[in-house]
Amino acid sequence: MTSPLLSAAAEPAAQPGAQPAAGRRPRVRLTAGGVVSAAWLVLLLLASLTAPLWEPYPVDDQDPAHTLAGPSASHWLGTDELGRDVLTRIAAGSWISVGPALLAVVVAFGIGIPLALVAAEHGRWVERGSSRFAELLLALPSMVILLAFVGAVGVHPWAIMTVLGVLLSAPVYRIFLGQAQSVRTLLYVDAARVNGVSSLRVNLRHVLPAMATTIAVQAAQLFAIGVLIEAGLAFMGFGPSVPSPSWGGLIADASQNVYTDPWLMVPTGVVLALTVIAANVVADGVGTGRTRERASGPRGRKRRPVRPAPASAAAAGAAADVSQAPTGDVLLDVSDLTVTADEGPDLVTGVSFALRPGKVLGLVGESGCGKTMTARALPGLLPDGVAVTGGSVWFAGRDLASLPEQELRALRGREIALISQEPMVALDPVFSIGYQLTQPIRRFRGDGRNRVGRAEARRIAAELLGRVGITDPRRVLRSYPHQLSGGMAQRVCIALALTGSPRLLIADEPTTALDVTVQAEILSLLRSLVETRGLSVLIVSHDLGVVADLCDDVAVMYAGQVVESGTVAEVLGQPVHPYTAALLAANPHVAEGLPVPGRLPSIPGTVPAPADWPSGCRFAGRCPLATEACALPVPVTPAHGHGTVPSGTVLSGTVLSGPVLSGPVLSGPVLSGTVRCVHPLSSRQEPRPPVDLPVPRPLQPGVTS
Amino acid sequence: MLTYLARRLAFAVATVLAASVVSFLLVHASGSSPGEITAGAGATPAQVAAQNQRLGWNQPLVTQYLTWLGHALRGNLGTSLIDGHDIWSDLMSRLPVTASIAVFATLLSGIFGAAIGVTAAVRGGAFDRVITAGSGLALSLPQFWIGILLVYLIAIKGHLLPATGYVTFSASPGQYLQSLALPVITLTITGTAIIARTTRTGMVTALRQEHIRTLQALGTPPWRIRYVHALRFAGGPVVSVLGIQFIALFGGSVVIEQLFALPGLGQAASNAIGNSDFPAVQGVVVIATVVVVITNLVLDLVLAALDPKVRTA
Repeated sequence: MTSPLLSAAAEPAAQPGAQPAAGRRPRVRLTAGGVVSAAWLVLLLLASLTAPLWEPYPVDDQDPAHTLAGPSASHWLGTDELGRDVLTRIAAGSWISVGPALLAVVVAFGIGIPLALVAAEHGRWVERGSSRFAELLLALPSMVILLAFVGAVGVHPWAIMTVLGVLLSAPVYRIFLGQAQSVRTLLYVDAARVNGVSSLRVNLRHVLPAMATTIAVQAAQLFAIGVLIEAGLAFMGFGPSVPSPSWGGLIADASQNVYTDPWLMVPTGVVLALTVIAANVVADGVGTGRTRERASGPRGRKRRPVRPAPASAAAAGAAADVSQAPTGDVLLDVSDLTVTADEGPDLVTGVSFALRPGKVLGLVGESGCGKTMTARALPGLLPDGVAVTGGSVWFAGRDLASLPEQELRALRGREIALISQEPMVALDPVFSIGYQLTQPIRRFRGDGRNRVGRAEARRIAAELLGRVGITDPRRVLRSYPHQLSGGMAQRVCIALALTGSPRLLIADEPTTALDVTVQAEILSLLRSLVETRGLSVLIVSHDLGVVADLCDDVAVMYAGQVVESGTVAEVLGQPVHPYTAALLAANPHVAEGLPVPGRLPSIPGTVPAPADWPSGCRFAGRCPLATEACALPVPVTPAHGHGTVPSGTVLSGTVLSGPVLSGPVLSGPVLSGTVRCVHPLSSRQEPRPPVDLPVPRPLQPGVTS
Repeated sequence: MLTYLARRLAFAVATVLAASVVSFLLVHASGSSPGEITAGAGATPAQVAAQNQRLGWNQPLVTQYLTWLGHALRGNLGTSLIDGHDIWSDLMSRLPVTASIAVFATLLSGIFGAAIGVTAAVRGGAFDRVITAGSGLALSLPQFWIGILLVYLIAIKGHLLPATGYVTFSASPGQYLQSLALPVITLTITGTAIIARTTRTGMVTALRQEHIRTLQALGTPPWRIRYVHALRFAGGPVVSVLGIQFIALFGGSVVIEQLFALPGLGQAASNAIGNSDFPAVQGVVVIATVVVVITNLVLDLVLAALDPKVRTA
């Protein structure tokens, strides 16, 4: 009975990530359960220590007339086989049942923590020695060793629990070694050390406090283990000598009478369980990071009735009538899409765009603009707690936004495929590439009910890998994800996306995690797939260079809205929304030699959080052209042929000059002279005086992301 | 891989030796002597001394230990001080009892725990809360208390299963299973609670992984995502905990064997200690340590086999 609990205690050690971030000072959080539990533990100790003062009966007072009686007014919890009062005996026994367990915790921590601190400080050799020793202790059968100790030394609860403390110091050491090592690498601890603070002080002032949460949690768990082991020993007769009661001994007595009076089992068992639970609840309540991880619930999209789009967002002149399927040459038509977090704000509001067959549409904007949420909403792969709450997603004659999960699943892979941002984590680490590729191939490429055979699937997989530019498909098929480079992994992901021969490929920042040369290779692979296979691609990116390079159409997103859309040439050539213009001007890919009189070095500020979006123009807070009128809601109007733009945001003045596109690299349309943004609903038709844009200065790459 | 194995083996041998030294020293620190046990209560000091002389108790500690070790290596753990039976053969005849309980309880805990843990992680909501609370309760109650409760409900009230005793498999397979049922159920309740918790935590983490989304984007059937991919991802810690449990059942089923009167290793341990049967104490400690060490070795190999990073290295 020792180690099932030991394993529970060791669990956090296996997952150091689950522990709160080391270094944050623990904050005691008072929960109702925590208060009740702490009160219970305090009450128990007080009751035990003061027992002689209040006990209704002396501990060993026998009442032959009332043996094995159930609860009554005179004996609240009944009497035992000798007529002794159960309540009295439980209360009197609590110290001897709980105290030695506390001692075990103190001993375990007294040995384990200093050892861990020393090992963390003195590096390899010390650490190796002490870790071996801990491993040895862990490998010993602790219950048998404890019993051997009892056999040799006799029944002394305090001594036995000291030995248990020594045995438990091994898991304690293990847990805290990991913690101490990570705390020591934290910047402020490092700084203190560099500043010559003594090592004892560093440990006392910085390392120990950072570990306080873990100490509390582990202490409670070890205490629980100690109490249960103590009870087990007492149950076997290795507890405190007979007349003085301990809980384990009381249960042993009760078990002798279980045929005649099962009730006797209940009070002690309940008190014991409550004590263990209370210790765990108190530990749970201490500290910051131990919020329970919520189970995920049903995967995929949580359905919620699609509510009508908010009137403000879908004002006059929206691109398409929401209720009707689009006509014409459009593969994917997203209209008024709204995505909302559970009990939270909208993350994407009234987004509309269209993708033509065989074309590439870019979704651009800074981080936090809702690009990824929009992309993931299309095949119904939003994270838990986020759902589509409005609008429609017409794809091949169906509205994906109202399709049941099962039908969506049938579409995924076969019609719509997804490539993710992080190729290195997008593949299952424990299965070979061959297995991961052949599984969907066997499902997708069969005819009707027949799955493709293994050998045939492997052949197709190799062929697909060849098509995505992998030169040694046989070897890659045998590999595991950790053996691939980022570029290779992304190629495999693309091959995976092609297994079902989809018509639409959604690529969420497919090159962001890759280095520059590999980025170019992946982009050219995507381009060749579009050309040779007629694939339509929706690509999410924050990089206007990628968009200019690859896309036919573009939709610029800002704060959950599409602020401007149209063909790449039109939108990037003649941006009409200040945000687009600002993004362009801040693009580091603008060639250096060009005359760039009014280049914006960066866009000041950051994208506001979804809860803080204003009802008017959402870019107003960061826009150099903003006026009071920008606070009014802005309707969307058609622009750039296919596209749209909030109609208020028309840049006027000497707008954009210079070459728009030159080769794959965008070389900048630039704001020159003075520009104005006129709000159509502004009561004052008087535009604000012209604004001089900031003086250009050298750009930092990546300022727009 | 070979050097790894060699290192693990060396460490395993060192652990067993350490355990034997610890038990040897404990026996000698006890302050009593084997002569007092064999000669019985009313023996004269001369009789006790004679017995000690016969048992080699007066030789230097190192000599005694090495003699014991030499015999132990040849499968001779000495004879009991109480009834003179051979300790090795006694422990070997008890091994199947403890092994049966440990194997059954571990298997059942693994199956039920994994199923419940996966369901709790996937379903979430009320089911998840009930499982979390229930496993918390199961882990807060001593196993022997649960065992007594089951004896009361199933054996005494229900007359469904025998409360105590053991029947060998060769004598009657049916009765063998019946005699194991209650102890195994008792141990499985706690075991299931631990495995369910570990599995649930692992599954919640696993289902948030990016590669799970890749699988979803490929229209992979949910059962395959959960039971093939996510469970496999979460499998490492679950297997570790199962191994620790198996060890615990082997080394720590003392209380349960006493409760259900099963003639296993645990009972041998508590008898030996109760009777101060020194050679038996040493024998039990060593055998229990050997079992722990072997289980740990197998566990390491299984974990290595489960992890492609180790396997392909």
